[in-house]
Amino acid sequence: MELERISVVLRPRAPREALDLGAAMLRANAGAVWSAWFAFTLPVFVICNALGVMLDLPWLGLVLMWWLKPLFDRLPLYVLSRAVFDRTPNWRETLRGQRQWSWRSTVAALSWLRIDSNRALRLPMELLEGAPRKLRSARWKVLRRRIVADTSLLTYGCLQFELVLFLSAWLLGAMLIPHEWRADSLGDFFRNDVRDASTAWLLLAAAMAYLAMSAIEPLYVACGFALYLNRRTQLEAWDIDLAFRRMRTRLQGLGKVLGMLLACTCAWPLSGQAATPSGVPRKPSATSLQQVFRQPVDSADARFAAAAAETYRDPRFGGEYTTRKWVFKYTPKAQPNAQPIPFPAFGAALAIVFKALMWLLLIVAIAALLRFAWRWRGQLAPTPDEPASAMSPGVRVSVVADAPLPADLAGAARALWQAQHQREALALLYRGCVEQTARLLKVPPSADATEADWLRQAAAIDDPARAQRAIAIVRTWQFAAYAGRYPDDAGMEHLLSGWPVEAGASA
Amino acid sequence: MLDTIREIETPEGISLHLRAAGALPRAQAWTVDLFLRMGVFMLAAIPLSLFGVGGKGLALLLLFALMWAYSVVCEVWLGGQTLGKRALGLRVVNADGTPVTWLPSVVRNLLRVVDALPGVYGVGLISTLIDPHARRLGDIVAGTMVIHVSELPAGQQVPSQAAVPLPVVLVADEQAALVEFAERSGQLTPQRQEELANLLTPLTGRNDSAAVRQLIGHANWLLGRP
Repeated sequence: MELERISVVLRPRAPREALDLGAAMLRANAGAVWSAWFAFTLPVFVICNALGVMLDLPWLGLVLMWWLKPLFDRLPLYVLSRAVFDRTPNWRETLRGQRQWSWRSTVAALSWLRIDSNRALRLPMELLEGAPRKLRSARWKVLRRRIVADTSLLTYGCLQFELVLFLSAWLLGAMLIPHEWRADSLGDFFRNDVRDASTAWLLLAAAMAYLAMSAIEPLYVACGFALYLNRRTQLEAWDIDLAFRRMRTRLQGLGKVLGMLLACTCAWPLSGQAATPSGVPRKPSATSLQQVFRQPVDSADARFAAAAAETYRDPRFGGEYTTRKWVFKYTPKAQPNAQPIPFPAFGAALAIVFKALMWLLLIVAIAALLRFAWRWRGQLAPTPDEPASAMSPGVRVSVVADAPLPADLAGAARALWQAQHQREALALLYRGCVEQTARLLKVPPSADATEADWLRQAAAIDDPARAQRAIAIVRTWQFAAYAGRYPDDAGMEHLLSGWPVEAGASA
Repeated sequence: MLDTIREIETPEGISLHLRAAGALPRAQAWTVDLFLRMGVFMLAAIPLSLFGVGGKGLALLLLFALMWAYSVVCEVWLGGQTLGKRALGLRVVNADGTPVTWLPSVVRNLLRVVDALPGVYGVGLISTLIDPHARRLGDIVAGTMVIHVSELPAGQQVPSQAAVPLPVVLVADEQAALVEFAERSGQLTPQRQEELANLLTPLTGRNDSAAVRQLIGHANWLLGRP
């Protein structure tokens, strides 16, 4: 065995993963495996069925092909065991190579070991190792340990797959047959159609079974072989073997180079040493840590010990700290239950269920409360338009932004002010001011201009006295609107006299 | 070299290894799931049968949920594992190794209809056997795959011995091989241990059990033990 030639990645795998490696190996060597498979099994299939027909036992072909499976297993195993070492044989070599392998184990597998769920693992052991009988049983014991369950599962899994493919073929056929050609029921189909031409149906079944077997049996062998490889990798550390071999060749190559270098360096000082005066003592090269650092590097080093102690005092690296907590001096006695309940476990489970339900109910109730609170938040609050309702409709209209300003602005504002509607009075004054400013500057009054905009506009008025008055009104309005700070009566009177309330006034 | 691994390299230059799960473990996981769901359905159907037509309706609803919602819910909420997959140590992930999300999970489970054709999962089986990463059609469309998650039980501890410094510098693979040898030496026969150690005579300069001891010493040194 030349392990260096192996073409699969060796590493210890779980048995289930090893099965997948088997499928991958089969996929990689599909051509070689199935050419050999069909070259041998197709003639056997024809012969078996012909024999069955001649003996008037048409089921014989089906049964014989199933019985001969262990014989057929040798072909995929031969191909794969060579392909793993990168020597894929063609189908002629495979058929010829069967003579190298002993027939004893195949005879056993065909007779008393025919129903054996470990065949997939037994096959590579017996055919590839070929150990004498005494050693074989000991070897088998070692090999099957820990993977015997997986081997059996592999067998049942492959049986299942074969059945799936067999049934799939029939079901697909049934799907493709037109409705009027189909039998009325499955019972009818077996009673009439099959009985009339039983030989033909049995031969068809044998062919289907043969195709399903051809698809799955190489997979079975490949998976068994992969299990075997994996087990031997575990037992004999093949992956380590390979790595060590590679290391050995590298080291040997390195050794040659080093030897050359050493020889060179040895030869060179011999010639050089003659020139140097021999009286000068040569400085010895440092060979240990002590010599390199010129001080002891162990716990005896005082500086090191001090540094270590310093580090340990740092709270991040350790140190001592005290924790305090309260502990009961005595354990409280458990109160005995008033009376034992029948079925305590059932009662407890029921209690948990009802407890959960109660919690759920509580959560739902709180959620509902929150939801209604959110929905009704506007309706339950005290109505905000109470002061407005006290106002006469005329006043209201004059304050609303898009209503035209009253002709006597000063009178209207003063009336509002004296009726304690201070905010409305100031709003009216502000609007009047804005309108006058816009007129003065010949800019269109825009609805979305803010107080800040008007402050900026007012600064652009040529007459500084007018500008100051406009700014004073806007500021007063801002204080009232945003801070609730109102001017006194005198201040209000001052704002109401002159420009801009009296349009013609000179400020 | 032949392997079952799908390798994904991240932008940071880290290579992730996804160990694709093949048809056999997946079929076993599916069988476990099938029996679990059948058991649940039967357990629920017996009391439900007491309630006449209404109970039958509920049972059918349960059957629908078990057939269509079970896999999706398990895959999204239980980390890509239905209970059967968990038992077999498998997991569904996106093809780039990220956890599976709602849309891919729904797609791959809806396409079971196609994979189950013609009634006994024939299409799915053939697809799984042919595809190099053992994906069924639903997996290919949804961009998912099923991988092995269970690790092999870790090897034994490296037996502690006095560390022996290595005379030459070894590359990472070789260091790993040395440590692996020390870890697994307990599982090998003494003869095999010596055989392997004798391969490295150029390194150790010794033979047989002395070489084994020295290699284990090297492994101790590599692990940073005193």
